[in-house]
Amino acid sequence: MYQFKYDKHNKYHRAVQQTAIVIVSLVIFVEAWWVLSILANTPAVPTPGETWDALVNLVNNGDTVTDISLWSYIGASLGTFLKGFLLALLVAVPLGLILGTFNTLNEFATPIIEILRPIAPIAWAPILILAINYTIGPILVVFIGIFFPLLTNVVFGVSKIDSSLLDAAKTLGASRAQIFVKVMVPSTVPYIMNGVKVGLGIGWMCIVAAELYAPTLAGIGYFLSEQATLGYWPGAFAAIIVIAVLGLLTTGVAEYVHKFIAKRMGMDV
Amino acid sequence: MTAEETENKSLDELQIEQLEHSDPHRTEQYKSISKGEKLVSIQNLSMVYKTDESETVAIQDFNLDVMKGELVSIIGPSGCGKTTILRAIAGLLKPTGGRIMIGNKECIGSGPDRSMVFQDFALFPWRSVRKNVEFGLEIAGVPKEERKERAMRYLKAVGLENFANSRVHELSGGMKQRVGIARAMITKPDVILMDEPFGSLDAQTRNIMQASLVNMLAKTDTTVIFVTHSVDEAVYLSDRIVVLTKRPAHIKEIVKVPWLRPRDRSSPECTAMRKEILGELEKENVMN
Repeated sequence: MYQFKYDKHNKYHRAVQQTAIVIVSLVIFVEAWWVLSILANTPAVPTPGETWDALVNLVNNGDTVTDISLWSYIGASLGTFLKGFLLALLVAVPLGLILGTFNTLNEFATPIIEILRPIAPIAWAPILILAINYTIGPILVVFIGIFFPLLTNVVFGVSKIDSSLLDAAKTLGASRAQIFVKVMVPSTVPYIMNGVKVGLGIGWMCIVAAELYAPTLAGIGYFLSEQATLGYWPGAFAAIIVIAVLGLLTTGVAEYVHKFIAKRMGMDV
Repeated sequence: MTAEETENKSLDELQIEQLEHSDPHRTEQYKSISKGEKLVSIQNLSMVYKTDESETVAIQDFNLDVMKGELVSIIGPSGCGKTTILRAIAGLLKPTGGRIMIGNKECIGSGPDRSMVFQDFALFPWRSVRKNVEFGLEIAGVPKEERKERAMRYLKAVGLENFANSRVHELSGGMKQRVGIARAMITKPDVILMDEPFGSLDAQTRNIMQASLVNMLAKTDTTVIFVTHSVDEAVYLSDRIVVLTKRPAHIKEIVKVPWLRPRDRSSPECTAMRKEILGELEKENVMN
């Protein structure tokens, strides 16, 4: 009989082992859920089977209450999310670079930032969404969620610039502006990427939460809220699964971009 | 050339010159010995660091002239201020007193006329090898094609033309420093400042790099000011060795090294000079 010997140095063996571990782990999770659902014996905790049916239904037919497709919901959520993300990027990166460079400015800004930072972004949702507008509100909530961790990371990145690189640039005749563009900014990129990764995770949580507040018929968060309000629990859980998958995808993409940039720039972090 | 002028002196006479100790008030004696063209003139350089509690005098009234085309080493006990002197020349530090002249003009701030090679290489990790070398030219606004061509020439001169598109982290320590040297030389500086450039390298690589440097410098008449901890390195490379006292550094002695390069490290002359200088440094380290 052919004996299979696991060789930890063989990358195919490793890949298979990893996949096997993930599958087993998920299976255990689903089984545990099933048992829990039966024990709880309430419609509010549907079984994995019911949830799967609801999910399939969602994919095929969309929201049967509003006749909007799943893809439309996802598109709306992702769209708002990306807009908030881009806005945060455009504001936090330059601001972070400036604050990181000019200490006095940083000292002025720090008290304000430290007061605003601990406020959970979603706490701003009622004000932003109900007072301003259902479209811009959620974008701003995402913006706030991504802005603070991104800003912190950028400022930190500036502080971590290797001073001998600055020295080298100076002794090669670079002006302050040239040092800023050619040395400081590239040095900070890995830290920016890190801030982006953290920010994306938080931002995605914000968009879903924000949509719970916005009765706009748009976004997967809205769908979740609708299903729960109507008592369609399998649908609600199906929405959660969609949210989880999308969250994994966004972080996965961010991770990939980070690795790509880190490799290209020959830097680590 | 220094070597030709001093060939006629006997070894004894040279050793006597070398052994005269410095009298800090007679700095005339230590201005350039050879009749070469004076390029760099460090005049009454002082550097005082002030903290809340105290003042540290790093350098005080330091004077030195460097001739065009010579390689001068600065060696001294740890912490004596030799790197401070170099950084002041580079414009990375503003001295509290004195001035530095190159030719007729005074040096203000830093610039590509006094480029520097660093102990930790200071290469830009996000740039390829070639783009690192091109940096000085980019700053100066040299057009792309010309930059590329000149960078390749310098890479070829340091033996790295096949690594032009490699990433910095793919290179060994010795290779990285060769890039650093190429990067510093491409701006055709008046003087190249080297701050323990081979200090991060293992002993064998260090010896190889010293030989490479001698080779590179033989082809040009670059002026080099070289800070090092290694007496062996100083004896191998320099035209003159400036030996400093403990902080605040004064010139203890200036040793002329008349022999042609490349030199044999283990030759009796080199060994004798090394022993002598090490002896002087030991005295500095022991004296309170």
